[in-house]
Amino acid sequence: MKYLATALLISASLAQAADMSFDEVRVRAVPPGANISAVFMNVKNNTSTDLAIISVDSSVADSVELHNNSTEDGKMKMRRIDQIKLNANSEIKLKPGGLHIMLIGLKRPLVEGDKIDLRVNLSDATSQSLEVPVVTIRPTMNKMTH
Amino acid sequence: MRKTTTYVLLGMALLVGAWASFELLGPKTPIPRYASASIGGDFQLSSVDGERKLSDFKGEVVLIYFGFISCPDVCPTSLAVMRQAIDQLSEEQREKVRGLFISVDPERDTVDELNAYTQYFSDRIIGVTGSTEEIDSVVKQYGAYYKFVQLDDSALGYTVDHSARIYLIDPEGQLADILAHDVNPNELHSKIMAYL
Repeated sequence: MKYLATALLISASLAQAADMSFDEVRVRAVPPGANISAVFMNVKNNTSTDLAIISVDSSVADSVELHNNSTEDGKMKMRRIDQIKLNANSEIKLKPGGLHIMLIGLKRPLVEGDKIDLRVNLSDATSQSLEVPVVTIRPTMNKMTH
Repeated sequence: MRKTTTYVLLGMALLVGAWASFELLGPKTPIPRYASASIGGDFQLSSVDGERKLSDFKGEVVLIYFGFISCPDVCPTSLAVMRQAIDQLSEEQREKVRGLFISVDPERDTVDELNAYTQYFSDRIIGVTGSTEEIDSVVKQYGAYYKFVQLDDSALGYTVDHSARIYLIDPEGQLADILAHDVNPNELHSKIMAYL
């Protein structure tokens, strides 16, 4: 949970935007050969208005798109989506295996410890700038002894 | 009359029991059955070090995964699971475990790129691929699935719908188990240990 501390620091610096919060923001470190990556985060809409993420920008990629992964009959499918809805007073998690922000055409390799810039554009014409730590995504081990 | 009631009750109990065992014991994600010997078997594909056959790794536990490098989420997760399971082994045990990442996207993934990609996760995982015919034949052998899908609205151009399973091959070269792509690394480790 190294990224948590960083994400907390970032959200602390954005304290003025108390009606929206972006936590556990992280981008996946990229294996050699891959020029795409995915950004994950928890977004909380504390307002009483339904909002949506309509686009995202970053200087590290040629294109940034919103995508969703789904599983049907054990088949993994990934499709582009137009927006990520943020209903009033609710939280949505962008996480491996589900909703995510895709960075396509990376201009440089993303190595653990790096940071990238990201701007999240919302449906109310506001946007949120985030500094996102690059992390190696490790599958959860749960609390199993062996 | 009483007899009929007993049968009806018995029948209902059986139905409830069957339902309960399905609900309680059944896997959350359906995993294809492989009880028959019809799934699995030897194959030959290309790696950075030339042609490799599954039978080259006899005596080792082999983990087979079908994926592709531009898979942003599911494939790195599965390979990270493999890495974590392998990293829990002793040096001696690691020498008897091999990951095989089979790319179903030979158009985009060269053997050199596959090598760099798999080495990033573990030096015990090698990347292999082949012609579409060769890949299709292995995919069929293992009951896997992949399909290229045009994404006109995305800078990706196309994506690959795919099954995401980890196939565990025993040291005799026989399919021993099929695991979900996001299996707990500790569970995968235990499964590997069972065949070492």
